[in-house]
Amino acid sequence: MRSRLPNAFRLAGLTLLLAAAAILGPPVAHAQFPTEPPPGGELRPLPFPEVQQVKLRNGLTLLVVENRRLPILSIRLSMRAGSREDPKGMEGLASMVGELMTKGTPRRTADQVAAEIEGVGGSLSAAAGADFFSVFTTVLSENAEMAFDLMSDVLLNATYPEDELELARTRTLSALQVEKSSPGSLAGRYFQQALYGDHPYGRQPTEESTKDLTREAVRNWAGAHLGPEGSLLVLAGDITLADGRRLAEQYLGNWRGKAPTVRYASPPPPRPTAITLVHRPGSSQSNILVGNLATRPIGDGTYYAVEVANKVLGGGVDARLFMILREQKSWTYGAYSGVPTRKDGGYFQASAEVRTTVTDSALVELMGQIRRIRTEAIPDSEMAAAKGYLVGSYPLDIQTPQQIASQVASAILLDRGIDFVRTYGQKVDAVTPTQAMAAARRVFRPDSAVVVVVGDGQALYDKLRAIAPVTVIDVEGKPLAAENLTPKATALALNLDQVVSRRDSFAMVVQGNAMGSVVTETVRDGDDVIISELVSLAVMGMRQESRATLAVGPIVMKTVDQTMDLRGQKAETHLVYAGGRVSGTAQTPQPTGEIETAEIDTEVLAGVLDDNVVQGLLPAFPLAEGAEFTVNVFRGGEGSVAPLTFKVAAVEDVTVPAGTFSVFRIEMTGGQQPATFYVTRDTPRRVVKMVPAGQPVSLELVK
Amino acid sequence: MPRIVFASLAAAALALAPAPLQGQTGYELYTLPNGLRVILAEDHSAAVVAVSVWYNVGSANERMGRSGFAHLFEHMMFQGSANVGKGEHMQLIERAGGDMNGTTNEDRTSYFETVPSNRMNLALWLEADRMRSLAVTDENFENQRETVKEERRLGVDNQPYAKAFTDGLTQPFDSTSCFGYAHTVIGSMEDLGAAKTEDVQQFFDLYYAANNATLVVSGDFQPASARRLIEQYFGDIPRGNDPEPVSCALTYGTFGKTAVVEDQLANLPAVIVMYPIPSHRAADTRPLALLGTILGGGESSRLNVSMVREAKTALQAGAGTQSRRSNGLLLTFAIANQGADPDTLESQLRAEVAKLAEQGVTEEELRKAKNNYRSGQVFSRQTAFGMAEALQHYAHFHDAIDEIDTDLNGYMAVTLDDIKRVAHTYLTRENSHTIVVVPQPKGGDR
Repeated sequence: MRSRLPNAFRLAGLTLLLAAAAILGPPVAHAQFPTEPPPGGELRPLPFPEVQQVKLRNGLTLLVVENRRLPILSIRLSMRAGSREDPKGMEGLASMVGELMTKGTPRRTADQVAAEIEGVGGSLSAAAGADFFSVFTTVLSENAEMAFDLMSDVLLNATYPEDELELARTRTLSALQVEKSSPGSLAGRYFQQALYGDHPYGRQPTEESTKDLTREAVRNWAGAHLGPEGSLLVLAGDITLADGRRLAEQYLGNWRGKAPTVRYASPPPPRPTAITLVHRPGSSQSNILVGNLATRPIGDGTYYAVEVANKVLGGGVDARLFMILREQKSWTYGAYSGVPTRKDGGYFQASAEVRTTVTDSALVELMGQIRRIRTEAIPDSEMAAAKGYLVGSYPLDIQTPQQIASQVASAILLDRGIDFVRTYGQKVDAVTPTQAMAAARRVFRPDSAVVVVVGDGQALYDKLRAIAPVTVIDVEGKPLAAENLTPKATALALNLDQVVSRRDSFAMVVQGNAMGSVVTETVRDGDDVIISELVSLAVMGMRQESRATLAVGPIVMKTVDQTMDLRGQKAETHLVYAGGRVSGTAQTPQPTGEIETAEIDTEVLAGVLDDNVVQGLLPAFPLAEGAEFTVNVFRGGEGSVAPLTFKVAAVEDVTVPAGTFSVFRIEMTGGQQPATFYVTRDTPRRVVKMVPAGQPVSLELVK
Repeated sequence: MPRIVFASLAAAALALAPAPLQGQTGYELYTLPNGLRVILAEDHSAAVVAVSVWYNVGSANERMGRSGFAHLFEHMMFQGSANVGKGEHMQLIERAGGDMNGTTNEDRTSYFETVPSNRMNLALWLEADRMRSLAVTDENFENQRETVKEERRLGVDNQPYAKAFTDGLTQPFDSTSCFGYAHTVIGSMEDLGAAKTEDVQQFFDLYYAANNATLVVSGDFQPASARRLIEQYFGDIPRGNDPEPVSCALTYGTFGKTAVVEDQLANLPAVIVMYPIPSHRAADTRPLALLGTILGGGESSRLNVSMVREAKTALQAGAGTQSRRSNGLLLTFAIANQGADPDTLESQLRAEVAKLAEQGVTEEELRKAKNNYRSGQVFSRQTAFGMAEALQHYAHFHDAIDEIDTDLNGYMAVTLDDIKRVAHTYLTRENSHTIVVVPQPKGGDR
């Protein structure tokens, strides 16, 4: 370490220098400020520390990367098993093992594990990836012994408590719920399925597989798949090989076992490009994924050449896909490409999220750019920019012991060899345009691509068919016939005698506390019905009145008028339904206090409901246990129609302030906000409770 | 005594002794004739260099009617300068494989890049070009003003409850005695709307001057090259006027009535009870920081254990200090779980604080908090950027940069009595201010 020169010393030196300059002549004017960015110097070879390697008696390979600069030790234990080994029907099992491993051993409860690692300011995690399972911990090196003790305890003795499993299961189910309404996640799921078919990489956790996970299965998986043979223990930082070996033998010496070799179904062979269209009615955006299976060998340099080609094509905001689809055409917020590696074969993928109206153009452009990089030499400027990033960013990725441990582990697990880390930069730097193009031809296969588009099938089907053969499915994965893409008029036969004049008061309950009120009123005069609602949230100064008029007989919407007063700010919505269309204006207050106004003019089929009348009419729906029906609903907030599905899932008892009632529990799905309604079985039927999915709010009947 | 006994005694003594100090941080400090302060810290263990420029200006320097300028500049500084096009800064750094960003807070604005060692010259050149010739034009100003408004509108960076932690923290401060901390970093949209390009230029001329800046270069470089480049790029930037220091006066013990903050992103109510504390320089900063950790910093902290795990009234509960150049704040907060209303959360937070003031903390708790602080310091200085940040911190918020190596001793020396004393002094009801966060429904939802 350089020591700091005391000021006096330097001042004396400076005085001498100035004196010397005075003797030698006037000082030289310092160089001009450059008007161009200065060019880079030579990047010296990466100072990567030596990796020492030794195999322990139980088959565990110990790798030590010694770096005594800082008193930090990072430990990474990697085993060759991952979600690839999830049994069919229990997808998500390996991940669950990772989540629960640190949640208790015979010696330590989950809290004690957390307190112990926290108490020394360190970190400890366990996680399963597709191919590898890792336990990693980083501490100050003085806590090396404690880290080994803790890590080996959770690895070897984890109890996987039942209550923790249930908590984790609930979390996973919620996450899956959210995923279902996320078009990006849907696209990924169906893309992986199409790419890998029956190979485990193509299978994802589902609600069923998550519900089927058992504690026994978790324990068995850990016992069967996590063993020392073939596994890596990487220690990076302030530790010697001798100390590392001693600790490994002391704490992991009795660990035995070898992961079984499993054979998997092969992924499907390449087929001509085909599109899977996942129909998401009323979607104003489409999510596009294009790609193919791909391996990129290291030995012949393909790996590095693909790094460069992919960076040029879509590796960031400085790449072709982004610059063209976003900056030039304004079709998307972002378009990218990537080449993920997997042990059993990786893949290439290009993605974009675009407006519905330009989906076909965007897909054509995307495919065109993939073709272009395979056939047109990459200009020097783009080669330089891509290499500059790849070569230049690598040193930033190997600064800390934790990063180093991770890089070394990856290099060995993926059979790249330890030298991979040291030579990455120079190998990428040596890639020529010819090599990049050849690698692109080998790895990007637009003529046998898997394409997944999640979006509004009605708007997209014909346009996409002009590009490639299209198969349509719904968001659940069930095949859809083309005619089902066109919304059908829904002829919902209401029990008209359940449409009665009434007035109901609800409390808006947040975690057991009433925070507001809703009063709904239905007034019926022959076939004319008025449904009004008054929402009041005094706590935040919000008051909203809605009034919808319609005819029943067959359902015919007429008008909707809504006024919201938010702390003095007014937002109004006025809609008129006539001649098969709904038109008007809808205003929404924004957090800044501005009001956003949207003009509405949309075609609607006969029988459409406005979302303001759904709750009011629900008691009149043909309710019976197990019944399911779909209704087209116009949402003013989104300006579009979506088919909402109502399923009478159960008959049960529910208690609200107004009393205890025997009810139909009705699950509503298909829009932006799924919800559950509870409607009494006794007539006149009424809604007694409503809970929006994933929100800790409920509407409960008071009287 | 037999040798073996001595040895065991020695071993025992070592085991009990506090952990040894970190090594001395090597750095060189000098100042250019134009007032630019330069700190060079060599480290050849990774082939990267971090370049950091802190301008000694934050939202606290803004005057009434002209709030939001410091944060606005965080945007303006990427819009181009004499030799750098709009957005080109980011592109040049990306193509060099580097990382970059800028941040604004109440007390200072920071700009930084981490680049591979052979691109140190690029990072220095970019910082110099915008320091000497930032394009403060009508067009750039208009565009960035809109971007800031958009940022505020979309809540781009906002997580649920972020609003309370930004807007809410101005509560304890009074506009007349401490306008600096009485308004938010992002500023008021009205002030920005009323501002003219000339105002913005004036702000730049005064606060973005070489004499108001500190340049840190940390990592894999040769000092001679760095000095030469710094002289070449920054040497002839003219000196500016020295800005007036900001005054901020706060009277302790002025009980604040509860403020309600509405939050469109939050699903559940939350409560923050906060206590003004002294400036970062003050000796009490250290026991207060450790107290914050014990009270609410992590899974095994008092608030997490009592409110989240035992009473189950909170989904999340914690505490921490926001330490600043002038008065800072110690915050305690809780997000409601089932059956809990804001009043319950507030009384539980206050009860835990009172208990701590009354009974103090245990040896074990204090030892763990010190461990946490020490390891945190080591981990934060692992990278060239982390080291640069540490140097900047000591250069701006401490009396001497050398405290980078001695500050830790002060933390290790905090006693149980110190903790009790600061709890009694600052964590009183009279010195508290409360915020209740209320979820706001999204437009269109019930």
